[in-house]
Amino acid sequence: MDRLIEILEDIQPDADYETCTTLIDDHILGSLQIISLVAEIEDEFDITIPTVEIKPENFNSAKSLMAMIERLEDE
Amino acid sequence: MSSYISITYLLVFLPIVALVFTLVPRKAKPFILLAASLVFMYLCSHYWIVYWVFTTVSIFVSALLIEKSKKKCKEALPAAENKEQKKAIKKSFARKQLLLVTLIIVANIGLLAVLRYSQFFVANFNKILQVCGTDFQLALPKFAACIGISFYTLQAVSYIHDVYKDKIQADHNFGRLALYMSFFPIIMEGPICRYGDTAQKLWSGDRITYKNFTFGMQRMAFGILKKVVVADRLNVIVTSIFREYQYCDYDGGIIFLGAVLYTIELYMEFSGTIDVVIGSGEIFGVTIPENFRQPFFSKSITEFWQRWHITLGTWFKDYIFYPVTMSKPMKKLTKNARKKLGRNYGPMPASIFAFGCVWLCNGLWHGAGWEFLFFGFYHFVLISLGSLILPVSTKLFEKWHIDRNKLPYRIFTILRTAILVCIGEMFFNSRGLTEGMKMFKVLVTQFTLKSFFNGAIFTMGIDRFDYIVVLAVVLLVFAIGLMKEKGISPREWIAQRHVVIRWSIFFAMILIIVIFGAYGTGYIPIDPIYANF
Repeated sequence: MDRLIEILEDIQPDADYETCTTLIDDHILGSLQIISLVAEIEDEFDITIPTVEIKPENFNSAKSLMAMIERLEDE
Repeated sequence: MSSYISITYLLVFLPIVALVFTLVPRKAKPFILLAASLVFMYLCSHYWIVYWVFTTVSIFVSALLIEKSKKKCKEALPAAENKEQKKAIKKSFARKQLLLVTLIIVANIGLLAVLRYSQFFVANFNKILQVCGTDFQLALPKFAACIGISFYTLQAVSYIHDVYKDKIQADHNFGRLALYMSFFPIIMEGPICRYGDTAQKLWSGDRITYKNFTFGMQRMAFGILKKVVVADRLNVIVTSIFREYQYCDYDGGIIFLGAVLYTIELYMEFSGTIDVVIGSGEIFGVTIPENFRQPFFSKSITEFWQRWHITLGTWFKDYIFYPVTMSKPMKKLTKNARKKLGRNYGPMPASIFAFGCVWLCNGLWHGAGWEFLFFGFYHFVLISLGSLILPVSTKLFEKWHIDRNKLPYRIFTILRTAILVCIGEMFFNSRGLTEGMKMFKVLVTQFTLKSFFNGAIFTMGIDRFDYIVVLAVVLLVFAIGLMKEKGISPREWIAQRHVVIRWSIFFAMILIIVIFGAYGTGYIPIDPIYANF
């Protein structure tokens, strides 16, 4: 989780990733940030994020992102 | 039937369907909707409905085949002895599924391309031959297409793609899929629906409730008001400016007025028709996705396209933008670019390339002509520039202590966006790119407000009274938009009033349409923008 938060802070520093649950809904992460985020997460966690996983419920919080990463690691 | 806002649809077709739908038992209701949709398509397209049959049958069968393949893959996996074998089995089945889904998408998009764009491509090919000095010319192909082919093809692509990606299950009920592909209120002008959001509800056969009926009627009345009172009224002056400007001595001020009035006309026509579409769906208890969210409150072009023709924008985002940016080469590009260009500019090369693909498709989707390609290119440039400038402008605003949330700055950005949109629409409505360029030149080089003060603007088909009527409705639409921006639902607000007030508002809308509607001598009803799509 710490590594994920580091990646998020590097991509978009202006947010509290521990508590925020509206990263997409409040436009904190836009499409450009999502492109960077996916590339970094895939590299760091050695997974492939399919386009169908790019949906607000997966990207709205660090927690939901982590859940998606863990799920994709298991597959 | 050429429009939803017509006597035939509003007073004959829709009431008959609603009546039969009410009378039949629940189990028969979805079949009534399907039959009505097929009749509607047949009335509009006659035997060319065969194209729709091809698309619907092709996605139905291929979705079942993909499902079967996935099932077989699951059954084969336990036999694998190690992880590598499992991967190989998965890969083998995935390759077959990908081949099938690609084939179906290419076949359907190919059919759309041939029917809608072959004339454009052949005409340009002939021009190239002419430039090369050859006398040989290809005959221009002429194809009749089925109504709504652009809309239902996109729905078909999203369905088969989503089945392939496990987002939705393949439908075993052909009737339900056929209804999703043909539902009569959406077939002509959209919105572009997604199977997962609408198909089940369409097939549920719920009866018409009082709330759904009244809400649907209100929504439709508001849409008719926007179209008949404003769009049809403005059509006279817009036609005059756009079609006759080269014969008249119009200055840049008049051209700008034409661009603004055309944008208002387009919004009132398209959003008004969508109100009728959504209202029609609401009567049958079907929630059709919203296609507009107060677009003229947008503070940037990017935001504008998130609020205007929303379902087309989200379709392009889900099926072009993300698949392109998330492709292996683009991900690699982003990673390398981030190392060299940093956090802000790293994702730009991949996203600008994907924006290019999106706006090329968007331009082509709107029509087979260079003016439409330019329309897409224009928005691509504005959006790309906006993305490139944003990191710099953010730093400058911080340095100069400018608060972008302050009202004056917000108003400035809203007006700036609206002007850019109007200029884009001017090209969109021009008769070809050359004409659009000429109009733009007049707008820039001969701009004057003289015609606004010498009464010239009242001599181009509409008079002072017409301007007042248009302004009144525009202000009403603005006020309703403002309520929505503040999180208030005008319809729920009306629903909470006393029954007398509720019905008074409804009858007032009808009266406004009857008294101030632009029909009869001197007015030309505007053709629906997407009627032949």
